[in-house]
Amino acid sequence: MNAGFFPKLSLLAATLFITSQAGAGSRLPGTGGVSSIEGSAGGGLSPWGMVATTASSEEAGVSIAYSLADTSDYRLDVTGLALGFDNRLELSLARQTLDLETLGGELEQEVLGAKVRLLGDPLYRLWGVWSLGVQHKRMTEGETLARAVGAESTSGRDLYLAGSKLFFGAAAGRNLLANLTLRATEANQGGLLGFGGDQNDGHELMVEGSLGVFLDPSLMVGVEYRQKPDNLGFAAEHDWRDLYAAWLINKHLSLTGALLDLGDIAGLEDQRGGYLSLSLSL
Amino acid sequence: MIASRLLSSAALLMLLGGCALSQNQNPREGATLYERLGGEPGVAAIVENLLYRVADDERIVGYFLNTNIDYLNGSLQRYICAKSDGPCRYDGPSMAKAHQHMGLADADFNALVEHLQGALIEEGVPTGARNRLLGRLAGDYAEVMRHQGPPSG
Repeated sequence: MNAGFFPKLSLLAATLFITSQAGAGSRLPGTGGVSSIEGSAGGGLSPWGMVATTASSEEAGVSIAYSLADTSDYRLDVTGLALGFDNRLELSLARQTLDLETLGGELEQEVLGAKVRLLGDPLYRLWGVWSLGVQHKRMTEGETLARAVGAESTSGRDLYLAGSKLFFGAAAGRNLLANLTLRATEANQGGLLGFGGDQNDGHELMVEGSLGVFLDPSLMVGVEYRQKPDNLGFAAEHDWRDLYAAWLINKHLSLTGALLDLGDIAGLEDQRGGYLSLSLSL
Repeated sequence: MIASRLLSSAALLMLLGGCALSQNQNPREGATLYERLGGEPGVAAIVENLLYRVADDERIVGYFLNTNIDYLNGSLQRYICAKSDGPCRYDGPSMAKAHQHMGLADADFNALVEHLQGALIEEGVPTGARNRLLGRLAGDYAEVMRHQGPPSG
């Protein structure tokens, strides 16, 4: 067991205790998204338009997730917590730990997120659901490395607009979920290599999207794409993409697996690998 | 790298396209949604299944305590028949009028959608027809929820 195990277990126990009174979410399974690597509800790579958990109006929900990504030279562990209130407000917290397996060392980041649903519903409205969100990111380990490779700072803020819409029966009779996220960011590799750099200063607009098909109500497969900035002269940064499958085991539990293609990261080429994420919702 | 990216996207699209094609060869294709639901006996079974699920759901059964269930049953069947391009005319109250001032919350609408999905699955309705019907009824959300809250004055 690693050093983080007992704190994680305590967090799990505390959450289960505190939220045992919370109303069970009434929205259909899958309509809360899964947990993204930054803690926001959405896909694995990007926040989506819906508010976390399946809690609807006048309800509250909480979800916790543990995710693991393993590529050729890196391993990322993420523990995330997301709260959904009244189908209107989402608060999230995620801790990311990047193990530099080849280079040696570790990078860590905390992401504090908030998302507000502006309008709509992914199932019930023609225009889907649209939300505005912010992710406040702060490196908690490896700041020296980030600065050494040219990052301007070790904390920063992403702002995004995310929309999601379910098209009933649109893919060979199956339901199709489409998501689009527009993100203003200057984070390098999501923030794990700091923010801003010698090649660019200031926020840029990134486009992220995904398409998923519900093969049946409890199994969704899809693809994700996340455009990335390229602020650091020392190494190129590439767009991320993945092919995922999410198994919605029941209203409370989901398991997501993905094949990742993250491109070059910090000079190490062709980072491909796998991703697994387990999410518990109350 | 780009080639493999295109290949996997193409494979995904071909898989979806192939499924669509095979559905065209299905003798059911060309049938109305109503026929794919099983016509009159099919819809009757779906509605009966749905009402049993609602009766079992303590969250929402309260809304139906003062309802004539037989009338509701017939009315729902006619509504679904009309909504699925069947040979029926629904001349009951509009969705807005039928649900006005009931104090319905999203959770209540969600519960009904879930029960309808369960009924459609249990009655063996094919996936495409099920999703199509759910999609058409999901669009009723705006009307159903239009006049919630207590009547003014």
